[in-house]
Amino acid sequence: MDLIGTILWPLKWVVELLLVGWHQLFEAIGMDPAAGITWVLSIVGLVVVVRAALIPIFVRQIKNQRRMLEVAPQLKKIQEKYKGKKDQFSREAMSRETMELYKKTGTNPLSSCLPLLIQMPIFFALFSVLNDAQHSKAGVGPLNDTLAEQFGSAKLFGIAPLHDSFASQWTLMTSGEPYVAAVMWIAGVMVVLMTASQFFTQLQIVSKNMSPETKASPMFRQQRVLLYLLPLVFAFSGVAFPLGVMFYWLTSNIWTMVQQFIVIRNMPTPGSEAAKAREARLARKGKLEAKDGDIIVLEEPKKTTTQRQQPMSKDRAKKQAKPGDAGS
Amino acid sequence: MTAAVLAPRNAAVVLLRGYRAVISPLYGDVCRYYPSCSAYTLQAIQEHGVVIGSGLGVKRIARCHPWAEGGIDDVPLKKVRRYRVTPFGFVVAESQGKG
Repeated sequence: MDLIGTILWPLKWVVELLLVGWHQLFEAIGMDPAAGITWVLSIVGLVVVVRAALIPIFVRQIKNQRRMLEVAPQLKKIQEKYKGKKDQFSREAMSRETMELYKKTGTNPLSSCLPLLIQMPIFFALFSVLNDAQHSKAGVGPLNDTLAEQFGSAKLFGIAPLHDSFASQWTLMTSGEPYVAAVMWIAGVMVVLMTASQFFTQLQIVSKNMSPETKASPMFRQQRVLLYLLPLVFAFSGVAFPLGVMFYWLTSNIWTMVQQFIVIRNMPTPGSEAAKAREARLARKGKLEAKDGDIIVLEEPKKTTTQRQQPMSKDRAKKQAKPGDAGS
Repeated sequence: MTAAVLAPRNAAVVLLRGYRAVISPLYGDVCRYYPSCSAYTLQAIQEHGVVIGSGLGVKRIARCHPWAEGGIDDVPLKKVRRYRVTPFGFVVAESQGKG
């Protein structure tokens, strides 16, 4: 076995266990074990388990982000110091000072590399499980011959086998052999959906859940530019990866989107658009508890009249105002 | 001669640059340290070569968990530094390039 295979072995085992576990569960409740939908739902189940396991890490990150408010003045000072300096050395010095501040105050808002480290190999493990299944090869553990065969040839929406990729069908098509056009279509649609969900998640964060300070930082602007690289990456993987892997990725993206939506609604970054919206919402319901540091913005409900107000001269306005004064 | 000695680490530099250009942006900033884990590993490999550099990188990634304090964490430098780093990140002998 090669080096990467050895590292992935335990992960492949766990991925297979989760897949087969969900598959058995669905079978137990009376679903057809060979049906595409059963295996597709098993992939969704895998996403749910993995992402649910990562929730505590995510919550911790959110809490840290909330504590950012305490260091906002110091952070602003650093940003002001390097305002307009775009050369590499100033940027580096700024990142250094920011990190130093986070450490000193214990308010590091970043999630650390561990969650990625958990997710990426799972992704590769799923990829290799599906790739092996493509050649009807049994997995390393719970996924035996029969199940591997079944999994690989299970069909998404009843037409597109999970182990097929855009590239594999393309090769068949160009060499004049029979191919499944649906695989290509579905792969294309998935790329579009993934790009859309990623953009929507980012847009939510940027437009609603960022304090003005963060928006002004050069790091943020850099990140924005990189966002436009994503569709390229998705398009590339959409061509090369089996549908099953793409489906895992898409489900995971949708999870992120919903999770982000809930967080932005219920625990927004202080000082952001979403925080103001939440306070206004709570205030309307009369449920607002003011905590230290909360910015309470109560907006007067605007009087809405559809009738156009007649222009009037100053004299007439005075005359009209006099009798009505006491009454209104 | 030097080029042959430096070949493995320059190959690793290309790989890491590729990772930083294509895969890193997918996740945005996550690292609790400065420099980030991948930048740290890149520098470590430039400074110490593939074997020791990757080792340092793995140790760093292991440190980067949600309970870590984070902060500034630079690559330990060698006492005698014989090489130069090009803007792209390739490691070359001190005399090479500029002449």
